[in-house]
Amino acid sequence: MLKEVRGTSSRRGLRKTARAPQAIRTVVVSAGLVALIVVLAGIHLTQGTSTSGPLDVVKAIFGHGDAQTLAVLEGSRVPRLLAALLLGVALGVAGAGMQSVARNPLASPDTLAVNAGAHFAVVAISAFGLSLPLVPVGGAAFAGGLAAAVIVLGLAGGGSASPRLVLVGSAVLLALQSVTILLLLLFEQETSGLFAWGSGSLTVSDLRATGQMTPIVVIAVVALIAMGRKLDVLALGDDNATVLGLRVRRTRIGAIVLTVALTAAAVTVAGPVGFVGLSAPVITKLLLPIAKHRVLLPVSGLVGVVTVLGADVVLRAIMGSAAAVRVPTGVVTTIIGAVVMVWLARRGRGSGSRRPAPAGRVGVAGSTRRLVLISAVLVALLAVIPVAGMMFGDRVVLLGDLMNWVTGNTGTALTFVLDQRLPRVLAALLAGAALAVSGCGIQSVSRNPLAEPGLLGITAGAGLGAITLITVVPVAGAWAIAGAAGAGATVVFLLVYGLAWRSGLDSDRLVIIGIAVWSAGMALITLLIVVSDPWNSAKALTWLSGSTYGRTLEQVAPVALALIALTPLLWLKHRELDLHALDEDTPRVLGMRIERSRLVILGASGILAATAVSAIGVVVFVGLVAPHLARSLVGGRHGRIVPVAAALGALLVSVADTLGRTVIAPAQIPAGLVIAMVGTPYFILVLWRTRP
Amino acid sequence: MRLLTPAVLVATAALLLSACGTTETPTAAPSESAAATGPVTVTDARGKAVTLKAPAKRVVALEWGEAEMVASLGVMPVGAADVAGYNVWDKAVPLTAEVKDVGKRNEPSVDAIVGLNPDVVIIAEERDSPLVPQIEKYVPVVVTKTSDASRNFDRLREDFKLIAKTVGKEAEADKQLSEMDAKLAEGKKAVEAKGAAGTPFLMADAYLEGSTVSIRPFGKGSLVSDTAEAVGAKNVWTGQVDPQWGLGQTDVEGLTAITDPKTMLFYSASEEDVFTTGLAQNAVYQRLPFVVSKKIHKLESGTWTFGGPKSIIFTADQIVKALTA
Repeated sequence: MLKEVRGTSSRRGLRKTARAPQAIRTVVVSAGLVALIVVLAGIHLTQGTSTSGPLDVVKAIFGHGDAQTLAVLEGSRVPRLLAALLLGVALGVAGAGMQSVARNPLASPDTLAVNAGAHFAVVAISAFGLSLPLVPVGGAAFAGGLAAAVIVLGLAGGGSASPRLVLVGSAVLLALQSVTILLLLLFEQETSGLFAWGSGSLTVSDLRATGQMTPIVVIAVVALIAMGRKLDVLALGDDNATVLGLRVRRTRIGAIVLTVALTAAAVTVAGPVGFVGLSAPVITKLLLPIAKHRVLLPVSGLVGVVTVLGADVVLRAIMGSAAAVRVPTGVVTTIIGAVVMVWLARRGRGSGSRRPAPAGRVGVAGSTRRLVLISAVLVALLAVIPVAGMMFGDRVVLLGDLMNWVTGNTGTALTFVLDQRLPRVLAALLAGAALAVSGCGIQSVSRNPLAEPGLLGITAGAGLGAITLITVVPVAGAWAIAGAAGAGATVVFLLVYGLAWRSGLDSDRLVIIGIAVWSAGMALITLLIVVSDPWNSAKALTWLSGSTYGRTLEQVAPVALALIALTPLLWLKHRELDLHALDEDTPRVLGMRIERSRLVILGASGILAATAVSAIGVVVFVGLVAPHLARSLVGGRHGRIVPVAAALGALLVSVADTLGRTVIAPAQIPAGLVIAMVGTPYFILVLWRTRP
Repeated sequence: MRLLTPAVLVATAALLLSACGTTETPTAAPSESAAATGPVTVTDARGKAVTLKAPAKRVVALEWGEAEMVASLGVMPVGAADVAGYNVWDKAVPLTAEVKDVGKRNEPSVDAIVGLNPDVVIIAEERDSPLVPQIEKYVPVVVTKTSDASRNFDRLREDFKLIAKTVGKEAEADKQLSEMDAKLAEGKKAVEAKGAAGTPFLMADAYLEGSTVSIRPFGKGSLVSDTAEAVGAKNVWTGQVDPQWGLGQTDVEGLTAITDPKTMLFYSASEEDVFTTGLAQNAVYQRLPFVVSKKIHKLESGTWTFGGPKSIIFTADQIVKALTA
């Protein structure tokens, strides 16, 4: 008894001595951050599109300002600054809270799709012409964000240390973004300004929104900090926390509601400003490694402010204030956040759970009878679906018409409709097949059932390459565009691969870094379009969501050629693919030149993905869904998977394209959006099936 | 999957069995209504000579300005992009209910276009557009310049005459152009008589989303700015604009570049009026010269700022009225 008491007290003494430097460090860091914020805010106030320069602002602050500068401060710069402050605090604290609740350093309003859910709700209200006062808009944003958080956390098993939270979050994010873009597409007049706003912008006109959201943010921040002790206990794990008397469920729900409210407030003011909530807590934990929540939460808020203000200041310093008006602040914070995410993924050690090969999970007996049956069905579908693709669209034609067309007996109008439909059907089929084969190669080599050319950033890289070329050389031909897409894909893939390589390739790390690079790539594509061709939203939508609109046979040629040349190559290497998928050692033991083989397979996969992007733009999920489906149909051997996946990929994109061309005719939905909406549930199903 | 496959097969089989007819009506050849006038050849904005067997009667126009020009010449287009949107944004020449919608302006449906069996399709020039070469395989395409901030009035005349020749209404076009010239000259005279020549002005539209406001000033060279300058006013927006449309982009603070107390603001807002809802309470806005002096004129909703001669006349009337008030 005595011993015990002594033990406790000595531990307490120890803690105190450890705490003193920690307290000093906290004070120093906080003071440093506040000083930095003051400096940044000062610079921020001097930047703007009017002629009021630094001197005028300084004079105004010290009470000798001219009326013009005072008005500029009041009407433009201070609102902008306050919005940035509110946003930084809200997102920084929300991110820290979410990371604690999920017990995962990669949780954030972005990776949990809360941002996307709130944004979707706001766009939906605008699209359907419900002109509501601001608070109900905030309420809708809150409902949307909460729904997204519940879905993501529910699917990811309430949050855990595993990266699957980010994967589920990214999937839900993609689906929500697709529906949001769809609304923008359908209601282009009503939502004209929302495209840039979709990336988060600080060009606020007044203090109304900031003013209305501030109380919500203050209350939520205070409440979260008050919950700090509980969150500290929660961090010990559910069981320990329960033993210590914490109502785990209630604490978790309370914290989630508060963090979602913070995110929704930020989205209501400025749109979804990307990745602030991810990077702020991470940076805070770097600065104060053992901080408790009562320190962690407010300091994260300060770091969030530094991130938002810093992004805005740097953007305007580089581009000049007048030009920077076009560029959403969220584009810059997304790029910053992506860097933090990559760093975080590199720093974290391997998850430890060596994932078995994707094939190892699905216990399908590869019986020959089954194979024959499935092949027959696929061949039949491959014959039927493209025909259906030719038949459906804005104008529905019948089989008799198609017969006439083939024999050259249709009238001019119908001939034309079918002539222009052919490249679109072919582009969808071939790009789908190419993405699927590419996915087979990448999944096998990275030994990750969740890897695919889209989520690894390869398609975003290809899109970036292609759109850079189009911006510089507007008249570039199809082959040049395919080449630029290939270069972009290669560079990005080497980047992702190189960053993920740390004495071995951890497959989860690869995917997390891939998602980070994908986000950064999409942000850069947005930046490029907003700067080079601001009034061309059609171009933006094509490259950001994937479409077969206006394809010609010439544009389809590169992907056809890549498919003809590289599919047999990958198929012939099916044994190598099987071995790569097993583990790191077996191929070596069997005397395979593992790095060379890996390089060839990845090179071929990269080229296939790049040509697919040059044909139909940026499309994700096909490379993931098709190989999976193939594996569950014909077992784990790549000799069978590759052709079956190719067929499935072709069918998937073709059906998506046909649907997109038909359902809201004469307007149309880009194929990539349809796939994201169909692919997301499948992706989530895969996550569910592969849960640990 | 096990359930899905047979279902898909059954569905497709049913589809195939029910889909074996044809959709084409036997009378294939378009009725050439006694070609009163002979073939016409026009040289379009690409410098390409386009030959039609006769002046076009069935016209599809894909950009609103061109649709307006066609309709104003007395030839109601058979198809236009986003007809509902057109009738909100361009009231100078309304499109009738018979005009068929061929989809969104940025990605119109080629099926719908050819389904109308047009004599000609009028498309606005746009870089890397895949549409022109595609549609041209089936039906003659006339490409217009649509906007050129270095010479927008000359461009307008050329486009209008090009379209007029295409539909065989050259006399009507000349009549409307001289009407437009007369209107502008008359307006200029009225403005001068009032001593309002050289009145500085700013023309803009604006978008509000959430609490984010973007303002789009019409710089020198934009069509409506050229119109206002033609009646004697002077555009004071000097910020960067794009070379095609003459449009700039700024925020409320950027408007402080305008200092002349005599400046008038013209703005267009066919849907949401951001200048009265989003900006009115703003401190910067309240100090802007035209707000202080209350020299603000909202162009009537449906004043299309990228239209044809009728839109110009519609706009010029409003500007002259404001300047001489």
